[in-house]
Amino acid sequence: MAQETNEKAAATPVTMVTLTIDGQSVTVPKGKTVLEAARSVGIDIPTFCHHPKLKSVGSCRICYVEIEKMPKLQVSCATEAMDGMVVSTNSDQVKQGRRAVIEFILLNHPLDCPTCDKGGECDLQNLTFAHGTDDSRNDFQKTRFREDDMSTTFDDKSIGPEIVLNRNRCILCYKCVRSNKDAFGEYDLGVYERGNIAQIDSAPGEQVDNPFSGNLVEICPVGALTNRDWRYKIRVWLTETTPSVDNFQSSGSNITFSKERQKNKIYRVTSRPNDDIDDGWLPDITRYGYQIVNSPDRLKKPLIKKGGTQVEVSWDEALDTIAKRLANIKDSKGSVCIGGLAAPSLDNRSLYGFSKFFRKVLHSNNVDYRSDCRMLPSSSDTICSRLAMQPFSISDLDDSDVIVVFGSDLIREHHNEYLRMRKAFNFNGARLFSITPYAVKAADIAELEVVHRPGKEEFVLQAVCQAAVEDRLVDDQTAGRFREQVGNVDLTELCRSAGISTDSVKQIARALASGKKISFVVGEIVTRSREREPIAAAICNLNKLFGLHDKGQVAILARYANSKGAQKLGVVPVPHKMLVDKMNVLWSETPSCEAHNTDAMLALLKKEEIDSLFVLGANPMMVYPDLQFAREGLERADFLVACDLFETETTQLADVVLPLCSWAEYDGDYVNLEGRNQTARAAIKPIGESRTGFDIMAALAARFEASDLFEVDAIESEISQMLAIADTPALPQEYTQVRASEDKEKDGFDIPLYLCDDPHHSGHLTEKSPSLAEFSGEAYAEISFDLANRLKLRNGESVRVESPVGKIIIPVKISEILNTDVVLLPRNFSSTPTTALMMRKRRVDMVKLSKVDD
Amino acid sequence: MSFYSPVITNASEATSNEKLHLFKYVEDPQQHKSEIFESHGGYTAWRKVLGGMSTQQVIDEVKNSGLRGRGGAGFPTGMKWGFVPKNSPKPTYLCCNADESEPGTCKDRVLMERDPHGVIEGMAIAAYAIGCHIMFIYIRGEFNHCIERMEEAAREARERGHLGENIYGSGYDLEMIVHSGGGAYICGEETALLNSLEGERGMSRIRPPIPAIEGLYASPTIVNNVESLAAVPHIINRGADWYKALGTEKSTGTKLFSLSGHVKRPGNFEVELGFSLEKLIYDPEYGGGILDDKKLKGVIPGGASTPFLTPEMINVGLDYESLTTVGSMLGSGAVMVFHEGTCIVWIIKKLIHFFRHESCGKCTPCREGTGWLENMINRIEAGQGQPGDIEKIEEVCGNILGRTICPLGDAAVMPIQSAIKNWREEWQYHIDHGKCQVETDFSFR
Ligand SMILES: Cc1cc2nc3c(=O)[nH]c(=O)nc-3n(C[C@H](O)[C@H](O)[C@H](O)COP(=O)(O)O)c2cc1C
Ligand code: SF4
Ligand code: SF4
Ligand code: FES
Repeated sequence: MAQETNEKAAATPVTMVTLTIDGQSVTVPKGKTVLEAARSVGIDIPTFCHHPKLKSVGSCRICYVEIEKMPKLQVSCATEAMDGMVVSTNSDQVKQGRRAVIEFILLNHPLDCPTCDKGGECDLQNLTFAHGTDDSRNDFQKTRFREDDMSTTFDDKSIGPEIVLNRNRCILCYKCVRSNKDAFGEYDLGVYERGNIAQIDSAPGEQVDNPFSGNLVEICPVGALTNRDWRYKIRVWLTETTPSVDNFQSSGSNITFSKERQKNKIYRVTSRPNDDIDDGWLPDITRYGYQIVNSPDRLKKPLIKKGGTQVEVSWDEALDTIAKRLANIKDSKGSVCIGGLAAPSLDNRSLYGFSKFFRKVLHSNNVDYRSDCRMLPSSSDTICSRLAMQPFSISDLDDSDVIVVFGSDLIREHHNEYLRMRKAFNFNGARLFSITPYAVKAADIAELEVVHRPGKEEFVLQAVCQAAVEDRLVDDQTAGRFREQVGNVDLTELCRSAGISTDSVKQIARALASGKKISFVVGEIVTRSREREPIAAAICNLNKLFGLHDKGQVAILARYANSKGAQKLGVVPVPHKMLVDKMNVLWSETPSCEAHNTDAMLALLKKEEIDSLFVLGANPMMVYPDLQFAREGLERADFLVACDLFETETTQLADVVLPLCSWAEYDGDYVNLEGRNQTARAAIKPIGESRTGFDIMAALAARFEASDLFEVDAIESEISQMLAIADTPALPQEYTQVRASEDKEKDGFDIPLYLCDDPHHSGHLTEKSPSLAEFSGEAYAEISFDLANRLKLRNGESVRVESPVGKIIIPVKISEILNTDVVLLPRNFSSTPTTALMMRKRRVDMVKLSKVDD
Repeated sequence: MSFYSPVITNASEATSNEKLHLFKYVEDPQQHKSEIFESHGGYTAWRKVLGGMSTQQVIDEVKNSGLRGRGGAGFPTGMKWGFVPKNSPKPTYLCCNADESEPGTCKDRVLMERDPHGVIEGMAIAAYAIGCHIMFIYIRGEFNHCIERMEEAAREARERGHLGENIYGSGYDLEMIVHSGGGAYICGEETALLNSLEGERGMSRIRPPIPAIEGLYASPTIVNNVESLAAVPHIINRGADWYKALGTEKSTGTKLFSLSGHVKRPGNFEVELGFSLEKLIYDPEYGGGILDDKKLKGVIPGGASTPFLTPEMINVGLDYESLTTVGSMLGSGAVMVFHEGTCIVWIIKKLIHFFRHESCGKCTPCREGTGWLENMINRIEAGQGQPGDIEKIEEVCGNILGRTICPLGDAAVMPIQSAIKNWREEWQYHIDHGKCQVETDFSFR
């Protein structure tokens, strides 16, 4: 199969064309535009409407060039470079044409640069400076748009929670509407009217509030679209920038912080385009999430619980107390009685320091970064974990011809990958398939969306395999082996239990069999499932049957900014053997005592067999999918330490609370879901007395007289050695029998519940960002129109959601997407503890819904 | 209810003159019914095509006939059909352009209202030639009568087996969708039409790709004017040679002209291409001369977007080549006549208002330039013209001409340029004296 792809690549060699631009010979691959050709040799042609990630529309006309044998000026952004072309980018005709375009654009432009937030970084300012004239021949009143207040020349029109539109400044390059539609698949922004009153506006009755809306502001070449985050706060030339990496998503979008010179305040995040990762698009979470850094609620000093209340203390007092208590427990009860949970959004050094402190200083193996998963296997060498360690490349999605999204609501979990998938569809005609237990937004461009009965993931996969075997889509030998090892299953029966049609699995099987480059991506619905192991086994069967690995990628996507780093640095109780081997080399030994994961730690805390829990940046009280269980554990802890940026449900229970730095306050490295190690630089100094995770671990180590183990250079070298372990664990060589178990039905609880993330939340502190809070509003229960109808619920009315263990009352949100009986609850609103409805032993939580009559 | 609208046509001549075919039956108030249409020989060409002509034979026949697009650009119809890639994995589409919105043009409307099956038959043959199984007609949204007529006719054609599955037992399937337009002149421009048909805002697309390669839903698509398609069944029935014998050597066949303005008998006339413009205006059978027997001032021969002709130029044949020789264009065939009592500035004010209003707003020169032009022209017309305005107008026109995405920009400035060229003195007078040199006579309204 691999050979076939190679042959295909060889069969279509890239043809090159050579043309002359301004007397210089330029050779580019066929299909490139004249603009791209010119830029490839450093010849600049001005542009307004061109965007490298969007299809050219040739509307602004500023990019004129003169091409020999063509009498008219041509727009270089939309003219294909051809062999033998002779192009001039600065002939008199070109200059005249360009000046005319600038004159036209300025005709109705307000030139209110002094009060415009784009001033100083405005394409129109810059191009007028470079190519325009200093005078206007227009002696007419300019066309003016005014919203509501006729007395002002400003046209400030709020078109969404963040975005303000000034139509007077708009030069109608259409980049905003084009990116919104073509790159993000959103239709909340449009063009209205014609001629010189043509205008951008939100769609009637709609707000521009899609999860990518912030990009529209960044992409606007002028100050027509501004966001409340930045407008009227600071002039751009008073800021300085710091390159960094997003901390809210696992792809690690590259970003730039702008901070006020000499001050300790960040003013915005903009993109730092990296085509391998983000294509220059940032989700709103990434763009506005930084606001948490400046939040007035930040913890600034350590706290110690004295007489039932937490009071501010000095670092020394706090650290001494922690060291004393931990040493005590270690000596009296054994290190196995201490556990630690770290957040997978922390940098490598913090995570590694955390693991090293536990293993090397305390001699405890009880470390985990997965606070939001229940019923984790005690071993770490599972099929699931091996699948999670398979290579994955974001940009490989671009030219995949078949993309299957399995068990993921991409737009809520993986924004960049969501956009890549749309790109693959829009630009390369990729065929998309979505397989989930509830309908998802990403499926709007899918060739086929399979919505299966909740908790039947493995059935769907088995059915696809079976269909391939029955329809002879794989060779006889492969089919024979599959039959031999898995046995024959009844396709119809499988499909019936999964609640799907046989036609749909056959269609997927055909696509997998015929695809040349396949991406099979697996998301949180699998990672968080109790039955993640059998599902992973079913994925491996599928992989083997269709040879997916040879034709692309199969991977469980890591969820948080440094989940991959935590995985590679071994921040789990029993790391993969190759990691342990390395630790043994680096540290000369690792503890041999029993190792407990999140579940086990919580259970043992409850049984008082673990006495102390050290929580570094994590918030199990919010994200562990069984609040009751988490609370019982944490409340029984003899000694609970919690480090965080803010007071959280977990810090409230802690004996000692330590203020953590945000990622914007120190240099840190993060491994994105592809395994790419990236550096985020400190933009500002730590807020208050907050410290980094690593500094805390090192300071504690010092109190155990282990400072030498935390010497920074050595730590850095150890980290790079750990990260350098390149081996990918092998997936099972044979087909496995898939055996998953199901829940016993609980009478009366008939609606499956799924925890999800609001698209404007990341589940990590983002509530503290005013902009993001404005987007997401209050917590809600999302249900289908049909279900709402049956319950006689209208949008916004209160619904009672009851499970065997809990009950919440919450406003209902009628979904435009869901079409089956299921309820989605966002897990990241602290006001509404949705995890209180969940039971850790369940595969799928079931609830009942009823209308609240007031 | 009858949609029969009283429009002057030369249908009576068409009935007696074997050469004229488009209007042959348009005065028959029953012609829109399939049965009557069939009794006049309707759908025989379609039967002939499905009875054994290959797609290539159909394309060749139309190619040989010399038929050129009647929507304005005059592109050879058969050649256009030939651009559709053979064996494309995507479906191909035919869109009949019935958005007729160019000021002065009202010929397609007559065909749709009075001979809708003629249009359907032409569409069907074209669809067959390009391997299309779903064809669309995009009708100007304001044309309620046409829309109802076409819908009714499509339904009838399907009922009577001219459309639908396995037509005439040939195994060929063809469905027809009647689409009500978006209400903008630009939606008649073929790429904007396709956008609008897809449910997007009607704005032109940049070319390449041409629609024949990537049009509706990014699939190969042919867009043809109503009149172009309506001519096709006659070509199939009587042969390319018969058609080629009509008109001039390079402009073959007949053409519908919509004559309007200061003439005694405004209306739609079918004539052979090459017909004398002078005759069209003055012949009692046609325009019947200038209203009130005044003197002629100028003529726009091909719709609001074509340059003016002055009285000395009207002794010209109405065909693609001859009109180019005198610096104008055949366009869509809307002949607008102005008599001596019309201020040129006033005419242009009306025209630029239309184009400013109808500019889709996509590209800078047209969007901004038409607005600026309108401001300047309005000012002159209002007697407030400034010295230098004429030169400025000319320069702005020059910055629009040939610099836009679609031809609307050109269309907006060409009449202005020719109006200044031909009547510069009158423009200057308007600025110098703050009033018209020629007071516009509105009595004809
Ligand atoms: C602004 C503009 C408006 C147009 N309007 C029409 C129209 O209403 N009807 C039409 O048939 N063609 C119209 N056209 C021409 C079409 O773009 C296209 O050339 C024509 O439909 C092709 O058909 P034909 O080859 O049969 O003429 C217009 C073109 C432009 C630039
Ligand atoms: S608002 Fe900005 S991005 Fe959108 S069209 Fe106007 S100038 Fe372009
Ligand atoms: S020339 Fe005018 S109508 Fe045509 S695309 Fe440009 S703005 Fe739109
Ligand atoms: S950049 Fe080429 S037309 Fe706008």
